Amino acid sequence: MKNSQHPSPPGFAKKAFAWWAKTADTEDLLGDLDEDFLYNVTEKGKLHAQLIYFKQAASLAFSYTLRKRKDAAAYSHYYSGNSLAMIRNYFKIAIRNFSKQKLFTSINIIGLALGMSICVLALSIGVSIFRFDEFQENKDRIYQVNTSIADKEDTRLYASTFNATADFMSEKYPFVEKVVKVKEGFSPEVQHKGNSMHFNGYFADATFFDVFTFPLLSGDAKTALTEPFSVVLTRSTAETLFKNENPVGQVLESDYGQLHVTGVIDDLKETHFYFQLLTSHQTFEQINSQARLNTDWVNFRDNYLYLLLKPGTNEATLNEALAQASAQAASFHPNQQINLQATRLSNVIPTWDISNGLGVGWDLPSLLFFMAIGCLILLPAIFNYTNLSIARALKRAKEIGIRKVVGAGQRQIKMQFIVETILLTFLALLGSLFVFYFIKPEFLDMVMAAESLDTSFGLMLVISITVLALVIGLLAGIFPALYFSRLNPVDTLKGEVRNRSANVSGIKKGLFVFQFFLSLVFIIGVAAIGKQYAYVFSYQHGFSSDNVLAVPFQGIDKQVLLNEFKAHPDVKSVTAASNLPGVFLPTQLGVTPNKVDTLPVKQVFVGDDFVEHLHMKLAWGEGRLTASNQNEEQVLVNQAFIQAMGVFETKSDSLAFTLADGTQCRVVGVLEDFNFEPLNEYISPLVFRYSLDNSNYALLTVNSADITRTIDGLDAIWMSIDQKSSFEATFLNDEIEKAYYFMTAQIKIFSYLSAMAITISCLGLLGMVAYTTENRTKEIAIRKIMGATNKSLYYALTKDFVRLIVISAMLAIPFSYFFYDYIFLRMLLRYSSGVGVIEIVASVLFLFLIGFASIYWQTSKVANTNPADSLRYE
Amino acid sequence: MKGYLGEFEELVLLTIANLGKEAYGLGLIRDINERTSRNLSMGAMHSTLTRLEEKGYITSFLGEPTNERGGRRKRYFELTSAGITALSEMKALRDELWANTKVKLSL
Repeated sequence: MKNSQHPSPPGFAKKAFAWWAKTADTEDLLGDLDEDFLYNVTEKGKLHAQLIYFKQAASLAFSYTLRKRKDAAAYSHYYSGNSLAMIRNYFKIAIRNFSKQKLFTSINIIGLALGMSICVLALSIGVSIFRFDEFQENKDRIYQVNTSIADKEDTRLYASTFNATADFMSEKYPFVEKVVKVKEGFSPEVQHKGNSMHFNGYFADATFFDVFTFPLLSGDAKTALTEPFSVVLTRSTAETLFKNENPVGQVLESDYGQLHVTGVIDDLKETHFYFQLLTSHQTFEQINSQARLNTDWVNFRDNYLYLLLKPGTNEATLNEALAQASAQAASFHPNQQINLQATRLSNVIPTWDISNGLGVGWDLPSLLFFMAIGCLILLPAIFNYTNLSIARALKRAKEIGIRKVVGAGQRQIKMQFIVETILLTFLALLGSLFVFYFIKPEFLDMVMAAESLDTSFGLMLVISITVLALVIGLLAGIFPALYFSRLNPVDTLKGEVRNRSANVSGIKKGLFVFQFFLSLVFIIGVAAIGKQYAYVFSYQHGFSSDNVLAVPFQGIDKQVLLNEFKAHPDVKSVTAASNLPGVFLPTQLGVTPNKVDTLPVKQVFVGDDFVEHLHMKLAWGEGRLTASNQNEEQVLVNQAFIQAMGVFETKSDSLAFTLADGTQCRVVGVLEDFNFEPLNEYISPLVFRYSLDNSNYALLTVNSADITRTIDGLDAIWMSIDQKSSFEATFLNDEIEKAYYFMTAQIKIFSYLSAMAITISCLGLLGMVAYTTENRTKEIAIRKIMGATNKSLYYALTKDFVRLIVISAMLAIPFSYFFYDYIFLRMLLRYSSGVGVIEIVASVLFLFLIGFASIYWQTSKVANTNPADSLRYE
Repeated sequence: MKGYLGEFEELVLLTIANLGKEAYGLGLIRDINERTSRNLSMGAMHSTLTRLEEKGYITSFLGEPTNERGGRRKRYFELTSAGITALSEMKALRDELWANTKVKLSL
């Protein structure tokens, strides 16, 4: 009933108006609104009155009156801005504070510097990657043609395209000014001054140098790639081959025949191309003279196409043309959807998710992952700063109190702390640049093709690290700034600020646990990878590699050499193989179990007695291969091969199959599965074929008391057969070790990351312990006087921290066990031994040791002081 | 100073003079709305009042708490001597123009 007598104005409008008006004086305005509303309710009804209320409130909200009153209310008697003089004052106070609190300043600077160094590294690489191909003069007109192929299962985008696309585009569309075909896979073995050297490069059209901006240091750009078997070298390739001679006009002897050097370009920097030499596309056409490239709409791997468009052509025109080309291609791929797309040259790198990319695929996901790791290291350092600054409240509260009493506003106090933090971050940035300077070469060493990155200091990098430092400063400074600006000046001057640092608060406990959790995860990571490293060397790959010498043939008469070696008294047995067991196998071969499918397998050519020689286990049949007769080639396979073939229901004779090139094969023996390749590769179907001609290495099992003398003896045998090339021999075990090089890189990265994580967490621990003990000096003195022993004092001081470390260990152990055992090590090695208990225990002990050491360092100082001294100081 | 007052401003000043002790925001709006059959919004009225106060033609003060406004006080306006001068100057200008008219204006 009351409501109907005194209907109230709409609450929402009232509240919104009050919110909008903030602190402005609106008493009379609200009064007018209410009075009008009451009048209207009786005259026009409630609903209408409410509507009018809304309208009037809105008209007042945007009126000059309210604006003016708001301005008046916001004005305070104190100047609330931050003038230049004040900022200068903040700097002065900050520097005084830093020099007064040396331990804490250095803890923060070191922590932030270490954390930022990884971020700076990631940024320097990121900045460089985003600049890739920006130097190209025609970058806005050059497009790479990509192919998206979709079938029932999935859709994949390939950076490459069909052989025929090039001619199709250049013949049919006048807006295409030039096309450049680039084919991957030119890898000549160059015989040079008695050594054979391996190089990697591309086949490229003569237009390559017209379209792309790679100025020739010597040679003529117009004709450099017009002739077949002409090659253009990069500067460093030219230097390895010819030192100071002029390379142009020289001839290289290679397995492709004679190659004529027609030009030299500078080393590649910031481009997605990655090659040591280029040869003309005609070279490819001559080698594969039977291939009909201009009508090949089937093969698209390793075959790249770049289009230079006429100026002013828009992308839509190009896309239309590509749609027509896609339609043309689709007729050759009935079960798939083909979609050709164009990528602007500057967008080729970094890629997001593209298959068969040219050169080194600098992709965004791994860059982001790297950045995330950087942030993961940096975050604890930021936590440290926040923690320690707030812990310092007791010391600085009086300062803030006085500032406030003499008229500092909240905003100014906030500004002061943020300026101080930013100043500290910039000091840390200098430190991190110093660290960066040392870790950069180490890190780039581990990255493939790092030489094409330009990580020197450019404008973009300087800007981005400055922004990084500013952001970190703001992040780290915002919480202390908010905390201090809210302090009540009266309380602070009375000394009544609650002493937060004596008992570590909940959030801080959480941060603490997180830091130690992270450190422990990294330490266990180092231990786990270290264990795998030891494991792969003790692992029985399934063949014997002890005392086996590998000798590359280098064009010597293979049969003669093997016979001569066999005659040497220290050599137990001799065989030959195209690839070393235990090392990655590149060769892919197609097997056609029926007319439709192709099964990719890997092949190894072997010599006599290969299986017996390396003690491989046979599951069935016999291990001896003989030279092929006319119709069928005898081969050995592994069990994985038999399983893979079993999927296709082949004809009754399961021991015969056909290779993609039409060779008929007959399986005479089946080997038990073993790791022919390093343990990071799955055991794939393998075919062993008998061919001495295709073998590259002689494998000798030696049994000698004096290995140097044996090798000298073998060298003498080599020289007696061939003087042109020199004898080289390495132990198979050493070659296998080299194949695990990637693990050394992983260990290095993990050690560095864990070293940083540990340092940062221990610095944080140190700071917190230092403050708690400092704040409890008097308590400890009194305890001592009352008869507490040193031991009980240590217990009182450390028990909180020890509990936190134990909690973080309890969280980190199961997490790292699952993370490493089920995810990380599986990715690193397909056949890993997992994380061991000993590794985990050792890591935990290591962390405890370091943690306790830093706690002990601080507490012993306090516990050992004379209690009379600590009580007397007031 | 002559002609400085706008039409609406003059109207508001005169209404304030008319209402005397009862010149407050809503009262002014109602009076003007009745006389001129306009539909003034509160925002327009208060903005004009604020401007007039800035120019020094009126002053304002808060009255006693009132019941019908939920205990809120009214803001009353009154003319200053500058406001009175401005009004009379305006009137003098109009009188002069009326007196000198060459056309018969009275209906």
